[in-house]
Amino acid sequence: MARRAALSLVVAFLMVHGASSAQAASSQLRLGYSDWPGWVAWQIAIDKGWLREAGLDVKFDWFDYSASMEAFAAGKIDGDCLTNGDALVMGAGGARNVMIMITDYSNGNDMIVARPGIKSLKDLKGKKIGIETGLVDHLLLLDGLKKQGMTQDDVTLVNSKTNETPQVLASGQVDAIGAWQPNSGLAMKALPGAHPVYTSAQAPGLIYDVLTVNPATIAAHRADYIKLIKVWDHVVSYINDPKTQDDAVLIMSARVGLTPEKYQLLLAGTHLISVAEGKKIFVRADGLGSLYGSTQNADDFNVHNAVYKQPQKIDGYIEPSLTAAQP
Amino acid sequence: MARSTLFRVLRPLSPRAKFTIGILAFVLPVGVWSLVSYVPAVWHPQIMITDAGSVSYLDAGSHMARDAFESEVADARQEGRAPPKGVRANPIYLPSPGEVLKAFYTSFTTPPETKDGQWLHQSLWHSIRIIFWGYVISSLIGVPLGVLCGAYAALGRVNEPFIEFFRYLPAPAFGALMVAILGIYDGPKIAIIVIGTFFQQVLIIANTTRKVDPALLEAALTLGTRNRQLLTRVVVPAVLPDLYRDQRILLGWAWTYLIVAELIGTTSGITWFITQQARYQHFPNVYAAIAMIGIIGLGTDMLLAVLGRRLFPWDRSLAKFA
Repeated sequence: MARRAALSLVVAFLMVHGASSAQAASSQLRLGYSDWPGWVAWQIAIDKGWLREAGLDVKFDWFDYSASMEAFAAGKIDGDCLTNGDALVMGAGGARNVMIMITDYSNGNDMIVARPGIKSLKDLKGKKIGIETGLVDHLLLLDGLKKQGMTQDDVTLVNSKTNETPQVLASGQVDAIGAWQPNSGLAMKALPGAHPVYTSAQAPGLIYDVLTVNPATIAAHRADYIKLIKVWDHVVSYINDPKTQDDAVLIMSARVGLTPEKYQLLLAGTHLISVAEGKKIFVRADGLGSLYGSTQNADDFNVHNAVYKQPQKIDGYIEPSLTAAQP
Repeated sequence: MARSTLFRVLRPLSPRAKFTIGILAFVLPVGVWSLVSYVPAVWHPQIMITDAGSVSYLDAGSHMARDAFESEVADARQEGRAPPKGVRANPIYLPSPGEVLKAFYTSFTTPPETKDGQWLHQSLWHSIRIIFWGYVISSLIGVPLGVLCGAYAALGRVNEPFIEFFRYLPAPAFGALMVAILGIYDGPKIAIIVIGTFFQQVLIIANTTRKVDPALLEAALTLGTRNRQLLTRVVVPAVLPDLYRDQRILLGWAWTYLIVAELIGTTSGITWFITQQARYQHFPNVYAAIAMIGIIGLGTDMLLAVLGRRLFPWDRSLAKFA
């Protein structure tokens, strides 16, 4: 303990003297991240030392997704990587947070996977679907059904843990499942011939993945957050540039223990959002093209499914100024 | 010879029989496992595809049910297309002993791939430290309290009903609270191990203390021992070998809470390895990690048993069954 304290003192000392600006971070920012390609991407900035280069004292802690929400709610970390819908869930539970930047949206990683013989969502009428109710892929399913002029009442939902959906589909006791990668891919592997009938690529912006932070930290760390968002832009271009992509995928796959080839598939289903694109999504509008519209949609879903009772005030959850401050 | 010497009620085994049967205890389950893994006729309900042939949705390496595979082969033959090829296989959830053995070796020799990553032996050591501190903290309070509750009926009555109630509460349910109080690193993990161990510990130790031989107490009282001396000079020494054995069992108890404890706060230790490998269905690695925990647990227990025989040479029950 004492050693860690001493070490952070040394680091802080170096920071104050090493940073070009006089107003370097007075204390460390602690952020949580977990196993999703859009967040594993931070590993590139960590491994390459870009955070330190930018004069930032940021510590990323790796969590299980729901454990990261617990840690944020307990005030032990300053920010966390979540979906916009889960940011609302956390806020409704009392852990105030504001989304300051968008990391990505799911572009095919979330899927409704049907058994062989079912050709489209329409064929699922009256059938059983294994899904973890109240979570993002439940939202995806409802969105897909709506486009077919159907509702939840046209199908039977079987509440299943997302990481068990591959076995649930293979058991033959349901006709389709909803899951994100790697579970959706594993489900197709476990039951050959199973295939996606609807994916998040058909509903871009339904689920945004964001960095959301404790609003109390923004006053003291405004400059840090702005630098952090700039580092993120570097990460996105490093991943998207064909010259550096292999190295980027290598770092990300190593973080989660997959081969780079397999990780490439997961990355393909994730649309990373650069600062320039993020600025457009932060513009207030209805519909899924805007974080406001998407978050409103998630709020309606959460209330309708009794995830929480009180509709949330969306404006209080979105802070566009830090992304807008980027050159 | 077998029946007459091996199966007699409460009769110790000869050292040689003890050794042989102890080995058999491991050979038998591994034998069954090998049989299921290596003899296709036993189970092997699936086909692992080696060549997809003309079937568009198959990939080499994927598994499918045997009857579905056979109908695909029949269809392809009938239509004059190339049939898929494959070999019989078990579901990926049941890797063979050979695969697990190989995973056991490679997981130690694979260097950490991220800069802030850890070697597997470092993760294991981290887990062992969590267990150690959880167990030590629990024992520092639990053992004295248990002895006192056992020795003094009034103290037992004050503590035990509540502890009896509390021990049924699932330790993992306190995860979020512990994070709020103790942070996100090792603190809450150790706390979960303490919560999982402590309450059982007090009750078990108290019960053991009550089993002290009444003849010893009477003899001591006749010789004029006073209240406090009776506890420190008679009761504690008398039950010490049994307390030691209880502590060995409780250490195993602490290990069972490790996986839930390490999922709280930042993911760390052997649990990081197990959950991450399971998430991507690398089951040989998962089984290898389970084996590691088993080996460490059994190894420590055997070590403590040997130590126990040294510490309490007069205790015959230890010598007989340890």
